[in-house]
Amino acid sequence: MTLRVPPPLRPALLCLLLFTATAGMGSLALHPLLEDSRPLAEILLWQGAVPRLVSAVICGYALGLSGALFQHILRNRLASPDTVGAAGGAQLALALALLFAPGLLTEGRFAVAFAGSAAAVAAVLALSWRRRLDPMPLILSGLIITLYTGAVSAALILVNDGYLASLFLWGSGSLVQTDWSLPQTLTPLVAVCGLLAWALLRPLSLLDLGDDAARSLGVPLTLIRLAALTLAVTLSAAVVAKAGVLGFVGLAGPALAYVSGARTLRQSLLWSPLLATGLLALTDQSVAVAGRFVPDLLPTGAATAVFGAPLILMLVRTLRSHPAQITTPGTPARSRLPTRHPGRWLLALGGITLLLVLTALTVGRGAEGWTLALGDDFSDLLPWRLPRVLAAAAAGLMLALAGTMLQRLTGNPLAGPEVLGVTSGAAMGMLISLYAFPAATGGTSTGFAALGALGVLLALLWLNRRDGGSTDRILLAGIAVGALFDALTSILTADGDPRAVALLNWTMGSTYRVDMPDALLTGGIALALAAVTPLCIRWLDLLPLGPEGARSLGLNLQAVRLRLLVLTAALSAAATLVIGPLSFIGLMAPHLARLPGLLSARTQLAGAALSGAGLMLAADWISRVAVFPFQIPAGLTATLIGAPLVLLLISRE
Amino acid sequence: MRHLLAFLCILICSGWGNSAGADGFSAPARRVITLDWGVAETLVALGAPPVGVPDIKGYADWVADPPLPPGTVNLGSRFEPNLELIRSLKPDLIILIPFQSGLEPLLRRIAPTLTLSVHQGVGQPYAAAQEATRTLGRLVGREAEAEALILRTDATLADSRARFSAAPPPPVLVAAVADAHHLWVFGQGSLYGDLLMRLGLRNGWTDPVSDWGFSAVGADRLAGAGDSSFVTLRPLPPDFETGLTQSPLWNALPFVQARRVHVLPPVLMFGMLPSSARFATLLADALVPR
Repeated sequence: MTLRVPPPLRPALLCLLLFTATAGMGSLALHPLLEDSRPLAEILLWQGAVPRLVSAVICGYALGLSGALFQHILRNRLASPDTVGAAGGAQLALALALLFAPGLLTEGRFAVAFAGSAAAVAAVLALSWRRRLDPMPLILSGLIITLYTGAVSAALILVNDGYLASLFLWGSGSLVQTDWSLPQTLTPLVAVCGLLAWALLRPLSLLDLGDDAARSLGVPLTLIRLAALTLAVTLSAAVVAKAGVLGFVGLAGPALAYVSGARTLRQSLLWSPLLATGLLALTDQSVAVAGRFVPDLLPTGAATAVFGAPLILMLVRTLRSHPAQITTPGTPARSRLPTRHPGRWLLALGGITLLLVLTALTVGRGAEGWTLALGDDFSDLLPWRLPRVLAAAAAGLMLALAGTMLQRLTGNPLAGPEVLGVTSGAAMGMLISLYAFPAATGGTSTGFAALGALGVLLALLWLNRRDGGSTDRILLAGIAVGALFDALTSILTADGDPRAVALLNWTMGSTYRVDMPDALLTGGIALALAAVTPLCIRWLDLLPLGPEGARSLGLNLQAVRLRLLVLTAALSAAATLVIGPLSFIGLMAPHLARLPGLLSARTQLAGAALSGAGLMLAADWISRVAVFPFQIPAGLTATLIGAPLVLLLISRE
Repeated sequence: MRHLLAFLCILICSGWGNSAGADGFSAPARRVITLDWGVAETLVALGAPPVGVPDIKGYADWVADPPLPPGTVNLGSRFEPNLELIRSLKPDLIILIPFQSGLEPLLRRIAPTLTLSVHQGVGQPYAAAQEATRTLGRLVGREAEAEALILRTDATLADSRARFSAAPPPPVLVAAVADAHHLWVFGQGSLYGDLLMRLGLRNGWTDPVSDWGFSAVGADRLAGAGDSSFVTLRPLPPDFETGLTQSPLWNALPFVQARRVHVLPPVLMFGMLPSSARFATLLADALVPR
């Protein structure tokens, strides 16, 4: 006998299921306290366990509502606090405040989180404005901003290892409570935001008719959108401020609502928050029960983030790339003119790179101040400096080539190997070897990193086959792998294990451990792969013409994409082994090459390769001398220098 | 015997035989660099302070005593110390601990390098610290001082133990505060846990902990150790005063109600004998004031 559930009741049924499971798990979690008749048990129940459950309910509701609002305004099923930068921005702002202005946090915790969150969302919207808030580029920008804020937060931890561990704990999102302060602060806020969201229901629903129709009905479009965005940002910032990052709950709520049949805005606003609540409460109660049996703290946020990756992958399949029906006023994109003297520009870039090599080899700092190493000093220091210089330049070059190819392949100015997931795959391999074989040597972890990169690459190729090669989808899948890596890292580091810092150093792109054989190997691989790239120049020139144009000129798109992806993955994996998964060089270098007008595939590749190598050289040298005797990982320095530059470039075009 | 084996393992793993050889360690080392604060405090106590130590401000915050001599060079981070600086100091011996062993191939190019394991996978940090102290004494030509430090520390522990046995106190829960809702508790296998046992005290934390001897837990889990005395160490995060100690749950815990909460000055959780002696004395002063 099959039970038929009328469609309107399906989300309700799913909700009921989640709440029942939560109740079951919750009674397991509370059981020992309820059996206990001591007065302490009562306090533990009413000041610990119950506020924890209530906090999960409130946070889940807030995140679900925030996700539903983001999805409606941006017309994007992948939008959520975690995918448009809201959570990452809040986290970074709070970390900055903790380190530089801890006084702000006692009173202004929420204000700090809101400012960070709003800034990040604004940056994401500005970046995707030019493509009319097309869903895929928008999410891509959002996830990149999230990666960037995460990288900077990690850097703050690195240079400040006294506070390190508590930042790790908080970043991984735990709902343990010792009083009612979280429910007391958040309940009024969430209630007001919820009421306002319902008040906006009618004008927001009219957005479905399209901008022109809505405008003709007298709806103040900009105002309505801004108000709803503010609500969404407020809700998620409040949760991050009080409970840390509870990854992907805000994505899962609306997704479950949609899957179970909620189609209208009214249904979505009703069910998304409730389903998110059920999901978060269930996860948290399960974590509370599991916590009794394992010695290490299980952060709830990290547990929910583990759902994130498969969830994105699932949703990507439902997503169609079409511009949102939002009219973006403004000037059409100014197209850059190609330079008439590419040779001169390339020569200049080459000169700068050479100058950087010489500087990196000779100028340094010692116990007595700045030093210039010449003569004997030079040959003494060469074995220490040359491997770093060589490895940095080679890695920069490879990432730049990979980035240029990906950007031309996808037509997305925000694409880069960091986004492809290959680098995250390598990092995950490294992570596993670090924890599974603590005594392992460098060789073992390199092997594991290579396996990880290969695994992700194979998965991407498989996805490419099934989807007929939509590159945006591959990038999103790559980012999902990145999110999974983040979740795994925060589970493993939540305990304050010293290995976490070693790992963090490497993920941030440190050339510190490179020795001469490593450097020569990297240099050799870089040369070999760079020698292959000239074969792709014709494809790379045709691809930006779009699929139809390229096809009409006789390009076998499927095969070309496959080859370029393999080459890109090889380039990024080789670079990752040296400088870690997050350097953003591959994102920046192609833009630096475009700046003077190196636009054809040949000149852009050459210009990007030189800029990538130069940028990495400069970053490595600055990292070595800027905070002497401490060092900053070179990849991180490169990100800090380059990312604002790229954001500026992209927004100006 | 087990420690001897462990020590042999360390020697083999660190490649003593091939890298150092007869010339490397035969003469006492004069210019020693260590990347670990526990080794550094031991060398200071032996009267052979290291020429360079990473993160000197961190040492002052987390180890405090014995202080490093004024001319000690700051080597940067404990995870990526400055190699060019280490090289310019012309050390004749570099000492690491296991989680830094990834640096060994680099450092061995500068000077003979040795990895000493006290806290990782040993289980009894105090005995391991004694053994490591003997090794260090031999390496820097201060065998007599090393034996004296071992005896002195034993005596300090015995003294505190006697003070405790006069009026046996409740079990002791040692924790470091992470934020308003979380702490790290130190169980079996941690230096604090080992010392509690040697002082004749019961450890208030009996649940399993990670391989490192400690675990991060939510504050609610402290209730399970409510009949203990609560001991935490500086430096404390601001959240201790403004968050944790304000909460009803914290204030309902039996050790808070009975005013058995003690905040001690810094003692390095990964320290060696000087930290052990310091912990024994500070703990006795806090729990059974003279």
